[in-house]
Amino acid sequence: MTIVNFIIYLMTMMGIYSLLAMSLNFQVGVTGLINFGQVAFFCIGSYTSALLVVKAGTPIFVGFLGAMALSGIMGYVMSIPTKSLKTDYWAIATLASGEIIRLIALNEDWLTAGPFGVMGIPQILKGIISRDAYPFFYLFFVVACIVVVYFLLNLLTNSPFGRNLKAIRDEEELCLSLGKNIQNLKLKSMVVAGMVAGLAGALFTFYIAYISPENFRPIETFLMWAMIIVGGRGNHAGAIVGAVVIQLFNVSTRFLAGYVPLSTESMGSLRMFIIGLLIIVFLLYRPEGLIKEKKKIYK
Amino acid sequence: MLAIKNLHKHFGSLKALDDVSLEVGADTIVGLIGPNGSGKTTLFNVVSGFYQKDGGEIYFNGERIDGLPPNKIARKGLCRTFQVSKAPEKLTVLENMLLAAKHQIGEGPFSAMFMRGRVKKAEEANLNRALELLDMLQLSKLKNDYAGDLSGGQKKLLSLGRIFMLEPDMILLDEPTAGVNPTLRVQLMEAIQKLQKIEKKAVFIIEHSMKVISGICDSVYVLNFGQKIAEGTPEEIQKNEQVLEAYLSGS
Repeated sequence: MTIVNFIIYLMTMMGIYSLLAMSLNFQVGVTGLINFGQVAFFCIGSYTSALLVVKAGTPIFVGFLGAMALSGIMGYVMSIPTKSLKTDYWAIATLASGEIIRLIALNEDWLTAGPFGVMGIPQILKGIISRDAYPFFYLFFVVACIVVVYFLLNLLTNSPFGRNLKAIRDEEELCLSLGKNIQNLKLKSMVVAGMVAGLAGALFTFYIAYISPENFRPIETFLMWAMIIVGGRGNHAGAIVGAVVIQLFNVSTRFLAGYVPLSTESMGSLRMFIIGLLIIVFLLYRPEGLIKEKKKIYK
Repeated sequence: MLAIKNLHKHFGSLKALDDVSLEVGADTIVGLIGPNGSGKTTLFNVVSGFYQKDGGEIYFNGERIDGLPPNKIARKGLCRTFQVSKAPEKLTVLENMLLAAKHQIGEGPFSAMFMRGRVKKAEEANLNRALELLDMLQLSKLKNDYAGDLSGGQKKLLSLGRIFMLEPDMILLDEPTAGVNPTLRVQLMEAIQKLQKIEKKAVFIIEHSMKVISGICDSVYVLNFGQKIAEGTPEEIQKNEQVLEAYLSGS
């Protein structure tokens, strides 16, 4: 892999994880929903798009739409227990739902090919764009998605809808006393976040062209958490910055393995160690993250 | 307007509310007093749906409301404030006010995205009303401060402001002036009175200060150990021996 190709790969992965981090931020940073099963959306989005295109033979854009729709529905399903489970217990339930989705992908061979994963996933406009230009094209496509999602999420966060969500995050009982249907608002927040993460899943699928349950282990959720802790919660620019920083550590240490006198295995452990350390340092010394939540000023 | 019949609420063996019946008519200010721990806030919590009752009935505008969730009760026009003010800390004072406005457009993702013109117009109207109310409550200077940074007294004022934004038919105020400085307290009481006179709202108010109660209330109920021990005009209550005894022995 040449340096240029590696950098393009790194940036594309940063982009895909930016979307996942923005989606998580919308739940955690804006709505106050502690979701430890974020990877479930990612997994559903990836598998749905892959299976629709490879097995059902639909066009790629249908794969994208299906991924977003099904991840949105997953958001709806995951929001149901918020009715009866308090924040922390709901968080544990989400952790389980992330694993359930992965185990379904691992064990339902007839549908997902189990541990072998889905192969032969076609790429978008592969025939039209030259081999050399393709990585650049895909990066551009991912960035375009980020721009649109960023714009829409900001719009929502600054709307009366977003104001309600933030109020739920800070004072649930007050919202009840003001007549807000907090159950319904949480549901909508989860569906929006699910759709964004589903989009990221589809982008991932058509980028790496081969997915397996290995891609969706719980550690992915914690990488996304590291992103919003480092980048800052409650604003979507923070999520993007966090995704860039964490992916830089996560991917580049893999690449560095050949240049430092450490085995690949200890590099892997070291990588997680560094990310864990980053989380602790940020929580202790800069709990608001690199970019603070923006205050809305009225003149 | 609000009718409470034989209301019971237990916490284990403690009878927090023991067969309490009372009524609050439209267009009146009614006080609720009693020593600490007499069940005043519990009564508010049950009426507003935050606690489940253990017996009895509650009617609002002729409709039975006990058993409904708090947000549904609030939607029916019966709204409350909290003894310890709640204020979303990362929303500014103005955002807090806008949060409370009723019948907002753009409270869901679809309308927020696709009806931006109407959302903007409605927001502007709400903004004007919010600014007027903040002016009255002397919070204008703090409008862009985070609610989490306000003092306890200022949070009390803000919760009043939010309730005014919400325009309910009846307001339950849980110690609205505790922690507010004396000058402002008088103004606050005047504001509540004015609002009640102009907009014909019913106000049900928990207060400790007898001065405040006798200043604005049309009638007063007294609770002690979860039981209603007296009702009447402020003058009658002040002379009631049972009430005096409850207060003196209680503290």
